[in-house]
Amino acid sequence: MEAEAKKILLEMKAIHKAFPGVQALSDVDFTVWEGEIHGLVGKNGAGKSTLMAILMGLQGVDSGTITIDGTRFSEMTPSEALAAGVAYVPQRINMMSALTVAENILAGDLPVNRMGFVNWREVYREAEERLDKLGLKLDVRQKVEGLGVAEQAMLAIAKALFSNAKLIILDEPTAALPRPEIDRLFGFVRSLKDRGVAFIYISHHLEEVFEICDRVTVLRNGYLVETREVKELDTAGLIRLMVGEDVKEFERERAPLAQEEPVMVVKGLTRRGHYEGIDFTVCRGEVVALSGLEGSGASALGKGLYGLERRGQGQVLVNGEVLTARSPEEALKQGVAYLPQDRYLYGLVGARPVRENITYPILGRLVRALGLIQAERERAIVERYIRELGIITPSPEQAVNLLSGGNQQKVVFAKLAATQPAVLVLHEPTQGIDVHAKLDIYRIVSELSAQGVAILIVSSEVRELLGVCDRILVMYNGTITREFRVGEPEANPAEILLAIEGGNNHVRQ
Amino acid sequence: MRRINLGGFFLFLVDNLIWVLVIIALVTFSALSKSFFTPFNLVNILYRVAALGLLVIGQAFTLITANFDLSSESTMGLTAMVAALMLASTKNGGLGWETHPLLAILVMLLVGVAIGWVNGTLITKFKMNNFIVTVAMLMILRGAIYAISPGKSASFLPASFDWLGGGSLFKVMQPNGKPLAIPTSAVFLIVAFLVAFIVTRYRRFGRDMYAIGSNRAAAESAGINSAKVIMLVYMISGFCAALAGLLEAGRMDSATPRTGAGLIFPVTAAAVVGGISLFGGRGNMIGAFGGVLLWAILDTGLNIMKVSPFWIEVGRGALLLFAMLLDALKVEYLRRVSVQKALAGNPIGLKDQAY
Repeated sequence: MEAEAKKILLEMKAIHKAFPGVQALSDVDFTVWEGEIHGLVGKNGAGKSTLMAILMGLQGVDSGTITIDGTRFSEMTPSEALAAGVAYVPQRINMMSALTVAENILAGDLPVNRMGFVNWREVYREAEERLDKLGLKLDVRQKVEGLGVAEQAMLAIAKALFSNAKLIILDEPTAALPRPEIDRLFGFVRSLKDRGVAFIYISHHLEEVFEICDRVTVLRNGYLVETREVKELDTAGLIRLMVGEDVKEFERERAPLAQEEPVMVVKGLTRRGHYEGIDFTVCRGEVVALSGLEGSGASALGKGLYGLERRGQGQVLVNGEVLTARSPEEALKQGVAYLPQDRYLYGLVGARPVRENITYPILGRLVRALGLIQAERERAIVERYIRELGIITPSPEQAVNLLSGGNQQKVVFAKLAATQPAVLVLHEPTQGIDVHAKLDIYRIVSELSAQGVAILIVSSEVRELLGVCDRILVMYNGTITREFRVGEPEANPAEILLAIEGGNNHVRQ
Repeated sequence: MRRINLGGFFLFLVDNLIWVLVIIALVTFSALSKSFFTPFNLVNILYRVAALGLLVIGQAFTLITANFDLSSESTMGLTAMVAALMLASTKNGGLGWETHPLLAILVMLLVGVAIGWVNGTLITKFKMNNFIVTVAMLMILRGAIYAISPGKSASFLPASFDWLGGGSLFKVMQPNGKPLAIPTSAVFLIVAFLVAFIVTRYRRFGRDMYAIGSNRAAAESAGINSAKVIMLVYMISGFCAALAGLLEAGRMDSATPRTGAGLIFPVTAAAVVGGISLFGGRGNMIGAFGGVLLWAILDTGLNIMKVSPFWIEVGRGALLLFAMLLDALKVEYLRRVSVQKALAGNPIGLKDQAY
């Protein structure tokens, strides 16, 4: 594949983009050739999404230019991006699912006869013919909801091509797809590539990047690290590019555990289709991480432990007592508190004041005779946590949704800490917050663990985890495949990421 | 290669369940009462629910686009009252104009379409919530009916005006030698449903309605002008409500301030029982007609069996709940299937982008 023989389709030059508190992209030069499949990889927050949002015209740039097929843009709107031939195929396909494949293809332009009646025979023939031209075999009379996920993705790609797309962004198209489906999808994508269509392939599954991509671009902390031919790389090399040699962002002061007091003991937990035979223990004052790709079961397990989802068969003990909780409220009563990934959805009541958000779960303890709340005690508790966690708010009466993201996160922590839990499960606690807020969060985690709380973090921010955890459990395909003890030489970012990718799975020690 | 699609079969069954229910109801009442399965009774079942049926057509149009029109019963009442006032003499509660029936019909249809236009404008231009807009319109129009009415019914309308709702088209001889009159409204209702079916199935406008109800964003990105379609849908709903007013005023030979009051719930129930989803994009007019039939059969059957009207009301409520349950189960089933297919955990993508 000689570079000079290739025609440049997309050129993004010197792209800079900052958000309040974060430099999302710095001086990124990104080029895609005609008829190539170009992988785009990087950890969460590396800048992939921002770069793609800019390419789709959803976000402006601070500086830099975008050239598509010879047309130069300094600022682009979504409709300009569409007209220039950029199409986005999301992981969740957005189509008119109750209608047939044919109608989805021809919607807005259904063939009609002279009387203005829809000519159904023509609709099906036309749809079939268009799909045939792309070599795609689908039953055009089938409703879209009856198609498999891969077929829906292929239909979405086909639709994009019918509206003259030249560059198609595939965002995690294979998540939760079984292997034969992936093969069909990849076959289709390759056949289109041979016709000159270009793809940007975003995936956390690196083995797929190696399988289907021609070149790969690695982003890290808003910088474009490198664009390389895939065949020049191997998984370990690619992971090294993704992880980089950054300094650790936070280092928790670990006191050796005086004695191992198991707080949460998980035995043989199995939930079909999610995880199988999960065994682990979290001790008093210990910080343990569960890391895995999407679909590895780590996320489902975290939610299961808190009662947000079904746990399945097996046993979970909390302080020696069997965990029976079926809902977050019940779990809280049994000493398991949970920091949700989507704090807006589960964590906070946005329009209510900070005070109410913190004391909501413990109001039962604050009432006296006649069911009245002891206002002074409530205020004392709220002020204590505002001070201890450094929540920046003009007053305890401020509505929570007026605080910054990091401070909102701290309010969720305060709420959880106020319940004095035995175990605290944190789900991606640093996603979507800036560096300073991250440091604050890990400082709070350290403090809580020093107070004896057992902490379980569901996250794949390996570098951050190495700074704060005692152990990292890696999940792959529903089982715990590796256990790393922080401090041992094996527990380095590259090795852990490789295990998360399912690379070098040894039997768990 | 292709798996047998069990889920697809389940959906097919649920989508056509209405006809199973209609047959069960027919058989049950025929077995329970000798006077049920008679030609006279069967013909009159449709005659009695013609107005309701027209409202169901209008409601189905709005529901398919994932909208509601709760004001149609008041539109029906207002248009009936307007026509009756124009037609009846002063001593019978009218204004004494005693206009030509065709003029009255024209005016009532225009009023119906105009009300639909107001609803549609508020909903599409001002982006107001369709539920609340039409509830407000329901109240406004009902109040207006009382305000313009003589405080009682306006009755004794011209026979030519009554023909569509209360007249008969022709007579057929029954085997027992008695003539049986075929009500005009029963035939009109069937024709109206056929027209509605053809429009929704075979006109591009109808397919645009389904596209919008199924996924508005996707429909718009396919170049469908959803505001225009929804506007038209509300005008059609108003038009159908005016036709319902015409049928009802004709059948009763009068309009009262209560004409149409309380019909919107049976209307919605019949549409939903007939497979029109409250969530849009699903169901067809033939099914909706089945819903109207089922409603009418239950009503007539229970009446013939001399069931207390209070228990009939209980039965109606139960049928509505049953219909809603089916609809919810169907949507939940579809959602689960698609989520199961799509992914297990949380999406990594632009939605939860880091910044």
